[in-house]
Amino acid sequence: MRRETQNILLVLVGGALLKISLNGTYLQYVKPSHRYWLIGGGLVMVLLAGISIARELFARAPHEHDDGDHEGHDHSARSAWLLILPVLTIFLIAPPALGADSVRADASNRAATTLSSGADDRMLFSPLPAGDPLPVKLSDFAARAAWDSGNSLDNRRVRLTGFVVVDGQNTYLARLSITCCAADALPVRVRLDGPRTTGYQNDTWLNVTGTLRPGSATEDDDYVPTLSATELTKIHQPEDPYEH
Amino acid sequence: MSADPPSRPESADLTDAPELATAPGGSVAVADVAAGPGKRRYRVGSLEVLCAILVIALVGQGNLVSWLDAPMLRTGATVFVAVCVQALPFLVLGVLISGAIAAFVSGKVLERLLPRRQALAVPVAGLAGVALPTCECAAVPVARRLMRQGVPTSVALAFLLTAPAINPVVLVATSVAFPNNQGMVLARLLGSLATALVMGWLWARFGKAEWIIERALRRLPEPDGRSRWRMFFETARADLVDAGGFLVLGGLIAATLNVAVPRHWVDALGQQVVLGVVVLAVLALLLALCSEADAFVAASISGMPLLPKLVFLVVGPAVDVKLFALQAGTFGRSFAVRFAPATFVVAVVCAVLSGLLVFGGAG
Repeated sequence: MRRETQNILLVLVGGALLKISLNGTYLQYVKPSHRYWLIGGGLVMVLLAGISIARELFARAPHEHDDGDHEGHDHSARSAWLLILPVLTIFLIAPPALGADSVRADASNRAATTLSSGADDRMLFSPLPAGDPLPVKLSDFAARAAWDSGNSLDNRRVRLTGFVVVDGQNTYLARLSITCCAADALPVRVRLDGPRTTGYQNDTWLNVTGTLRPGSATEDDDYVPTLSATELTKIHQPEDPYEH
Repeated sequence: MSADPPSRPESADLTDAPELATAPGGSVAVADVAAGPGKRRYRVGSLEVLCAILVIALVGQGNLVSWLDAPMLRTGATVFVAVCVQALPFLVLGVLISGAIAAFVSGKVLERLLPRRQALAVPVAGLAGVALPTCECAAVPVARRLMRQGVPTSVALAFLLTAPAINPVVLVATSVAFPNNQGMVLARLLGSLATALVMGWLWARFGKAEWIIERALRRLPEPDGRSRWRMFFETARADLVDAGGFLVLGGLIAATLNVAVPRHWVDALGQQVVLGVVVLAVLALLLALCSEADAFVAASISGMPLLPKLVFLVVGPAVDVKLFALQAGTFGRSFAVRFAPATFVVAVVCAVLSGLLVFGGAG
């Protein structure tokens, strides 16, 4: 592959990283703090390609050992063609954040399990702050429902944010939790119970207010808690679709 | 000028004859002529191919999006972009360090920094890896650069294995993911360090230089003052182009397996330690998670003893499909097909021993 082509590919990849980091869509793929890595990485890529392009434009005559390092063109870097794949995927397809498909593929509440002690023992969670209804992360809610020996959720009205997953007869509110990127996403789900909890499409984002049904989130229901939902509001997908 | 002659004249139009790039002033027309020596006929070069791909992709965007509408493909595309986007900035950091070593750190300085005896230099390099708190993608170009600066291969490989596995960021993440089992941090540290040292020593004893492709080892001329910066930029750029494609390939494989390998059957393993060790070792190989995140994924598997989870954490940063693609591209295939399986076995054994030592059993 010619150097010009390599440089254009680098500009495209760097540009793709800059685009998603500046318009906010990077949150569909990676954690928020990765933004600065993306901006830095994208800028360096564009810069490295730019310097190479500028040198080729302004160099008067080719001379030996021009580059010091010849590995870029000693051999045909055919593998570099693959760099076009993420560029095309980002610019043309712009894949959406993971949603109901990923949750249905994995039935257990993994994001809550990471907050537990690792064994099936109950443990004492820190007390919840004041607030009614109290906004709680879905993974935190599911972990407390299953393993909090202090029963901090009893008689508390909470507000949960997530997307709808319809699985069989049940409607769930679900969310994915990521550490680094979408490849390590862990699902968490809460069963919705109440008169107006049916008829929603998969991946519909909702704010749901309700209380934990006592006696749910045990081994019998795979530690999936049930929320007696009183109020459901459709919302747009949050800027950051994942919990962390 | 160039070391290897254009051995495939029939494919020179696509892959470029080596002498093309050494004519920086060359315009597209000049380069096209050069592709077929002596011929004036117009040949299709890589630039034209790139333009054609872009135009076709733009025109076919609607079709492309509708083809990818199946749930598995949609999820796969998201994971693919996520892996690439996650890893590329770390690769950029790696090639910058590699470029800086090439341009500003002479081989003599490195020789003086490292103990003369390889058996001692391996642990020193292994511990130096702790200072590079990034994912494995950054360590690969740096390790290759160290080899090219004359550092013994075994020493560079020890660095390659420890840098992603036992840096402070990873250890803190492990501690957060296993709040009630702080022994996990120590066990991970011991297991990963042991893996790196054993692999370094094994290479020093049995490794052969000819397994690594020649260009990964070729020494560079020492740059003089003025050309240092030019060398820095060109080395970093060339390393990036070189490794970037293989990183994408690794991301593609990892994304496919991520979607195709169902996670729920891992839960069914329960308390079976031996089976758990085998399955989680293979899972670490296939999922290719970044080393900051793997502890949380391991912690999310319920009802399993600590030992298989430890194996997952020690194997993952040492060898996985993404890393294999990157290593095959950087050091050559005949290196990768020997190094990766050996690392896998050594990592599993080291993790099990370290786990038995720290947990006093399966945990």
